[in-house]
Amino acid sequence: MGQYKFTTVEEMPPLAFSLESTRKIPTGSWRHVRPIYKEKTSPCETGCPAGEKIPQYFDLVRNGKYEEAWHKILEDNPLPGVTGRVCYHPCEGQCNRGPYDEPVAIHNIERFVADKNFRNKNLPRFGDLPKSEKIAIIGSGPAGLSCAYQLARKGYRAVIYESEHEPGGMLRYGIPHYRLPKNVLNKEIGDIESYGVEIKVDSRIGGNVAWTELEKYDAVFVAVGATSSRKMEVEGEDLQGVYSGVEFLYELNNGRKPKVGNRVVVIGGGNTAIDAARSVLRLGKKVTILYRRTRSEMPAVPEEVEEAEKEGVKFEFLVAPETVGGNHGRVSKIELVRMKLGEPDESGRRKPVPIKDSNFTLPVDTVISAIGEAPDLSFLPYSFLKKGVRIFVDENYSTGVPGIFAGGDSATNPNGTVVNAIRAGKEAAVSIDEFLGWRAKTDGAAREVVKPEEINTFYFPHEKRVKIPRMKVGSSILSFKEVNKTISDAQALEEVDRCFSCGTCLHCDVCMTFCPDVAISKDESGEYVIDYDHCKGCGICVNECPREAMELVEEETQWA
Amino acid sequence: MGQIKYHLPPEEILSPGHFACPGCGGTLTMRYVLKALGRKTVVVIPACCWSVIDGPVPYSAAGVPVFHTAFETAASTASGIKAGLEMQGDYETTVVAVAGDGGTFDIGFQALSGAAERNEDFIYVCYDNEAYMNTGIQRSSATPYGAWTTTTPTDSPKAEKKKDIIQILAAHHIPYLATASVAYPDDMIAKIQKAKVIRGMRFIHVFSPCPPGWKFEPEDSIKISRMAIESRVFPLLEVYDGTDYRLTHEPTGGPVRDYLKMQGRFRHLKEADIEVIQKNVDEEWEGLKGKLAYSMKVHKSNNSVRSQDKDVSLAKAQSRKGIKRNVR
Repeated sequence: MGQYKFTTVEEMPPLAFSLESTRKIPTGSWRHVRPIYKEKTSPCETGCPAGEKIPQYFDLVRNGKYEEAWHKILEDNPLPGVTGRVCYHPCEGQCNRGPYDEPVAIHNIERFVADKNFRNKNLPRFGDLPKSEKIAIIGSGPAGLSCAYQLARKGYRAVIYESEHEPGGMLRYGIPHYRLPKNVLNKEIGDIESYGVEIKVDSRIGGNVAWTELEKYDAVFVAVGATSSRKMEVEGEDLQGVYSGVEFLYELNNGRKPKVGNRVVVIGGGNTAIDAARSVLRLGKKVTILYRRTRSEMPAVPEEVEEAEKEGVKFEFLVAPETVGGNHGRVSKIELVRMKLGEPDESGRRKPVPIKDSNFTLPVDTVISAIGEAPDLSFLPYSFLKKGVRIFVDENYSTGVPGIFAGGDSATNPNGTVVNAIRAGKEAAVSIDEFLGWRAKTDGAAREVVKPEEINTFYFPHEKRVKIPRMKVGSSILSFKEVNKTISDAQALEEVDRCFSCGTCLHCDVCMTFCPDVAISKDESGEYVIDYDHCKGCGICVNECPREAMELVEEETQWA
Repeated sequence: MGQIKYHLPPEEILSPGHFACPGCGGTLTMRYVLKALGRKTVVVIPACCWSVIDGPVPYSAAGVPVFHTAFETAASTASGIKAGLEMQGDYETTVVAVAGDGGTFDIGFQALSGAAERNEDFIYVCYDNEAYMNTGIQRSSATPYGAWTTTTPTDSPKAEKKKDIIQILAAHHIPYLATASVAYPDDMIAKIQKAKVIRGMRFIHVFSPCPPGWKFEPEDSIKISRMAIESRVFPLLEVYDGTDYRLTHEPTGGPVRDYLKMQGRFRHLKEADIEVIQKNVDEEWEGLKGKLAYSMKVHKSNNSVRSQDKDVSLAKAQSRKGIKRNVR
């Protein structure tokens, strides 16, 4: 305005005119609510027992940064190739896309990331200084591996004692090859070893290694797993031809072929039962699963059940064994009783009750009982507090004996899943760190979880979930080759694009697009900046944000 | 596919600090119009919300030359400015009149009809908030059936249907006519950019929600626009030469009830009234479908010529040679 100075009316222009921008008018003073960027937690992240940062690594995959995505997963889970294959993926049950169309195939993306980095030796480096404390870990299953890995990352020396000839625990001896090829497991165990974790195989504590050897360590983590099968408690259980599920799978995974007849029954409804039944198919025999409840109560992963059925496993529901009969010491028949569902029991499932006089007999020559596993704790030198058949631990995974911690199936993990064992290992490592006095546990601030109704679904056209490439049913049962394949790059990118990325900003510019006050811009680093001098607080940006990464907060009222 | 994303021209011409109410649809309209047309633009504003929004002297929010003119004269002023520019040899500057529904449907209608009939070479953008808002929410001929305004109170809400400005202008046979919404910015910007390179009279009718006038929370502005489009209250279409109708967005067709229920100006409506509105919307949609089908049949052979690319290249060539506008 400086250049226009009028002294007389004649000098003035015929019309009034404006040359200044309204930028000088601070309309931000009109505002009583303020939009802010506030990232929230996605339900998948809270649904993942290992606490993987799913939206973050999805974003890296979206940008083709497969190595960084892998590193992101490794912060919480050292076995993504394993969990990407065998995890029961509770994350997908929580996915906000579930109620909208179909949940995002998170476990396939995890597997994709792990397999993309199968030959990648460039492991992430973590900054912690080496420490002098040594920790012994008993058992190299998922809990032990996870704990050792997390401790090694924190700079400790972790030594794993493994009673078998090769590490991996149930991952190696409990899960059949067609679900988890051993080269994947070996690779990821190799990665853990390269952090300086020492694995002593053929070292059974209480067997060839004395418990006293552990006294030279600063802390011990017991993660021996649940390796002994629960008994059916019926007559004839010791006959030849009666296996336990764990025993049967152990034999198979050791490269031996257990002898099975032509009429095989598997008793139980869990993952071990399904694994055993599908393995029997691969030995070229027919098999029937007998379960005392109905299909919807089966603790096995539903997809596994479905696949088993497709491959030709037969199911007989609401039956329980009464006696196993045999002649000359070999099993020949099994007597069963029909069940019906009664009142719900403590597990929330309806309890099966036998129906009177409904007994019938089935001619069989092999019985595999897989009705649950319990830990074998006979090696422990003195008695620990127990909780049922498992070791009692408090919320810090401490057994009560100073310096001795426990986790995984032998202590904390009654449903026996890999990912819960990984969580136990991870959390126990934090407790051990605290016990050794290096770092106090920090309670992560409770972040808000995004609910499905908070997603602005207009921005997400319906799209089908990825179809997993699988071996054909006919050929899958001919060998123990892996059934499910890794999805392709294109499939992975499509699937990642289906992710709502709940609560995590993807810089989609929707907030900027709809601001009537031109008050949102991007700085050099690509982050959004809100111009509070001009923002009137209409809230369109918050309301339109597709993924609830923004929030409106009350402006502080300033009374004059 | 993934998430729907928008790709707007990055330059921000509109300044913040303007005097629009929070959540104003008319302001977003101006923001997109300026983004699409660029800085070589003259804006003509009659009496309407934008007379206020642009700011008090000596301030202006538009960032390009703005001519504030009388209520009834947006179209004639724009014609005059365009003629003046051409007299000076400037064939490139786009002249755009941005007017509210009052200045378009009612008070400025004579000037608009005259300019359309003469096929004057400017763009007329009507941001339609369905009443005289800045004077205190009085009914206009753009106010929909059943709506509350201060001059159509709830005991006698507006009993007449909204004036069909698109059909009226189509009857003027202007080269390009389109409807747009602030909730579909990509669609709107594409239409304005298309209009920019067509010669002759172009008219864009923009659906612009008004939080204080329609009685809803400002944060729902975009949501309400989207519901209006998806429930077929306001279909997004283009009309070439007054006869060739094209639909640019296929609405999903949700019930009108959801759209009405979000706004205070429709709160007094009974179920029966809502059914009447639904029936009206359905009838109009059927009518539009008939026109679309007829256009597809008659103008099929023109489809290739009609493509945006051809329009652009043709108009660019004309503009380079300085060919005078093709007044019919």
